[in-house]
Amino acid sequence: MRVGQTLVIVGASVAGGTAAATLREEGYDGRLVLVGAEELPPYERPPLSKEVLRGEEPAASAFLRPEGWWEEQGIEMRLATRADHLDPQARAVVLDGGERIAFDRAIVATGGRNRRPALPGAGLDGVFDLREIRDAARIQEAARAGGHAVLVGMGFIGAEVAASLRQMGVGVTVVEVFETALYRVLGAEMGRTIEEMHRDHGVDMVFNDTVERFAGTGRVERVVTTRGRAIDCSFAVVGVGTVPVADLMQGRGIGANGGIEVDPQLQTEIPGVFAAGDVASHDHPVFGRIRVEHSDNAVKMGQAAARNVLGRGETFDDPHWFWSDQYDTNIQMAGYAPTWDRMVVRGSLAERSYCAFLLQGQRLRAAVSMNWKRDVRRSFGLIRSQAPIEDKKLADPDVDLRTLVPAGKDA
Amino acid sequence: MGEFTTVGRAEEVAEGQVRPYEVAGQQIAVTRIDGTLHAFSDICTHKACSLSPGETIGTAIECECHGSVFDMTSGAVVEGPATEPVATFGVRDEGGALQIEA
Repeated sequence: MRVGQTLVIVGASVAGGTAAATLREEGYDGRLVLVGAEELPPYERPPLSKEVLRGEEPAASAFLRPEGWWEEQGIEMRLATRADHLDPQARAVVLDGGERIAFDRAIVATGGRNRRPALPGAGLDGVFDLREIRDAARIQEAARAGGHAVLVGMGFIGAEVAASLRQMGVGVTVVEVFETALYRVLGAEMGRTIEEMHRDHGVDMVFNDTVERFAGTGRVERVVTTRGRAIDCSFAVVGVGTVPVADLMQGRGIGANGGIEVDPQLQTEIPGVFAAGDVASHDHPVFGRIRVEHSDNAVKMGQAAARNVLGRGETFDDPHWFWSDQYDTNIQMAGYAPTWDRMVVRGSLAERSYCAFLLQGQRLRAAVSMNWKRDVRRSFGLIRSQAPIEDKKLADPDVDLRTLVPAGKDA
Repeated sequence: MGEFTTVGRAEEVAEGQVRPYEVAGQQIAVTRIDGTLHAFSDICTHKACSLSPGETIGTAIECECHGSVFDMTSGAVVEGPATEPVATFGVRDEGGALQIEA
């Protein structure tokens, strides 16, 4: 891109902020506008369920760059500003209130919003969800007052919040629709290893049940489930997934998963308009059409979108890695396996020290580890290359996974 | 500046290897790159994971827990989530003895 042109990034998110930083690092010195709905500059969300929630680190520690950095870089920050829509003909982002910012190229990184089931009582005080720094502050305040929390949903957010609340001395009951923790991502066998860890830390878990209503006078006092349980609580946290914030596309180029469809190089159907992060439904060279909500993916996609805006034309083939810290346990996953026909374990599920490999035929689709840090990142090459592998090599902790990738097939 | 303490034999650290040592209560990693020894704090500034088991790429090492990447020669952050550099230390081969200044 030439100087004199305007590049607009919609979404002051991890993906959007990283894209802006990358553009400057790559030498783009033209006009750069970053539009964000929140009033804060871009920050990382992983600490919000952990150190920031527990009050061990200040919220500002999560900022992607120090305050003032954005202005120093000559990035026009339009915070507390919602983009209403993108006008593909006029090539302009139209803000709430009607102001138009014309662009030559744009990156959409608007992320997701939390799913909030329309349950009776969901508007009571003390019914929280977690996405922004202020949400973490509210939950922290409620947790400091002590008492008992009901968590709705035991995906990664529910599991991490459960761990943090237990560490803060708060009693926790989780209500989860599936049969175990993290069932949808990890399946029953691995899910139970997470479930048991939480049980050891005193978390009460109710599976195969859903919340019917929140009850209380002004403030939540009780959660009532479909199967008739009534659980007393002083506050509740709902963590039942997110939906992409793609409204600004006004239905244009939206995929079945609600995300903005992008090609392998992250370009939307509008030429010169790219999308990155949670909102992007990407045509991945290994996984096919996929939309993920991992922080690391937001960073990597933001970087790639920035480079491709500058004309690099690189295919985004990241194997999608993420981690979750719960208590003193480190969990990692790479790849994508909506289904698998076989699981090979290195280490021991029973001892909660393992790397599990999810396979389709002889091809590795995903790797998941619990207290076994070395091998998920070492499996990247196998996931990217889809090279056939033998089960016994995967199961053998002495085999270096990096050596199983044929030469010239990436690492 | 502290004093040099012998922690082992210099030949223990082969080219490209990263080995953990403890000096005066500090966890310090030593590597050898192009024949030169480098010592740096073995504690990631992000969440205190040990860096020494991590993957190395050239002069960089990647934390196994959360993927932060540091330059082993300068301690600088190459890639987040870490934002603070790791400390570096003097290290030398004194007649075959591996000595760290800490």
